[in-house]
Amino acid sequence: MKIRVDLDLCQGHSVCIDEAPEVFSVEDQLDDYPKVKVLNFQPSAELQNQVRLAARYCPNKVITLIEDNE
Amino acid sequence: MKTIPIVSGAKPDTGHIEEYSANFVQFLLRAEAECGVLAEYNLAGQETILLSGVEAQEFFFRGSDENLSRAAAYQAMVPVFGPGVIFDAPPDKMKSQLKIQVDALRYQNMKNYAPVIAQEVEDWIADWGDEGELDFMDEFLELTIHTATHCLLGKDFRDKMTAEFKTLYRDLEAGLQAIAFVDPYMQQPIFEQRDRARERLEEIITAMIDERRNSDIEYNDALATFMTGTYADGSCLTSTEVTGLVIATIFAGHHTSSGTSTWMLTELARHPKETAAIVEELNAIYQQDETLSHNALREMPKMESFLNEVLRVHPPLVVLMRRVINDIEFDGHAIPAGKTVAISIFGSHRNPEYFPNPEIFDPSRTEPETMFAYIPFGGGRHKCGGNAFALLQQKAIFSALLRRYSFEIVDQSDSYVDDLSGMVLRPKSPCRLRYKRRVS
Repeated sequence: MKIRVDLDLCQGHSVCIDEAPEVFSVEDQLDDYPKVKVLNFQPSAELQNQVRLAARYCPNKVITLIEDNE
Repeated sequence: MKTIPIVSGAKPDTGHIEEYSANFVQFLLRAEAECGVLAEYNLAGQETILLSGVEAQEFFFRGSDENLSRAAAYQAMVPVFGPGVIFDAPPDKMKSQLKIQVDALRYQNMKNYAPVIAQEVEDWIADWGDEGELDFMDEFLELTIHTATHCLLGKDFRDKMTAEFKTLYRDLEAGLQAIAFVDPYMQQPIFEQRDRARERLEEIITAMIDERRNSDIEYNDALATFMTGTYADGSCLTSTEVTGLVIATIFAGHHTSSGTSTWMLTELARHPKETAAIVEELNAIYQQDETLSHNALREMPKMESFLNEVLRVHPPLVVLMRRVINDIEFDGHAIPAGKTVAISIFGSHRNPEYFPNPEIFDPSRTEPETMFAYIPFGGGRHKCGGNAFALLQQKAIFSALLRRYSFEIVDQSDSYVDDLSGMVLRPKSPCRLRYKRRVS
């Protein structure tokens, strides 16, 4: 699995860090919304389900996943 | 460069403002049907170009703040929010304020709001009895001012909230008509009322801020977030700015959410078969989770598809605008600085390429792949920061409501129509529905 994020869409709602804190963090920006930072672009198998939930529940659809079989 | 077609029917001096004010929804549909992807019209001197179709809408949403200004297009909001707030603040301060506003709606704060909304619904229906009939437009306007103030300003404020607050808020909202986008400062009774309401609301909210600053109690609502938020230089927001953010946040969610709830209930009453399936879904969830956690609210596929279709057919915001600051170009057309560009959410949601038979209410539709066709909350970097809160609120309201009562329309089905008098679309009042307690 590979992770892509569209920072243009991110407003720092922080759902992702609740679901997969090992993979995402949200960092403060000067005069802009906080933005997601991906800590691990190729998460291990045991983290992938959490990552899917993070992508699914992101209110702004910032996170796109490319599954290995695609 | 290609020329941009101009919508027919312009009058000298005033352009299309008369037709636009009378029915801007139909006007925008006509503009697109007549001119295509780019359609120029004139609102009492403000030359505006409607951008239609997914590519043009993406261009609108992806435009940079330097080229396309929201602040310049939304000056009508300045007297509502107050001086120095959001669209009246310098760009860096505006960004900080919006960031602080979204901070209050962050996931970790939102978890506190679901039970608050559920409680408000319980209190609301407590004296309904077994059956009855209500004007639900009125009811939802009241409920959502309760949920908004409770979540944003806390229980203390909500418990002490007077009829005056609601009246003031109504006066403030009534000042936002199409004409306010031409000149929000002209001498008009609705604008004078708006300004008096803004002044008095600031007194009320400032008193509350002062009370909190002198108290040791810790709060975890939006007001607390606004009061502790800081600008880049570390300074806090002034009382006027905090008041402005409170007003702006309630404003963004009040008419929009109450209109959506009313349409939601009306469509549920019109569609008993789909409603039965949603109730079944709810019963299954409640069996496992009697208090209905925030997590349970996230996964309600039937309720969500229905709500999505309500937002497609009845998007609360019809039109979004930006002022062109630097000359831009789209598809071989020059769009010079000084003009306004607009997109029609209502029109986009009726694009047959993405929504076949768009006039048919069909909750089984699948969402288009592109992010720029289904846009009830706008899109791009300025997408409505309250979108997650708004959806959570609808789900919390209808989870509580539908399990206890069933609903029927009272009047002819086609008499439930949009009220076009304001800038936010909602059902025309009275929107009468009959309720009946469910027997388990």
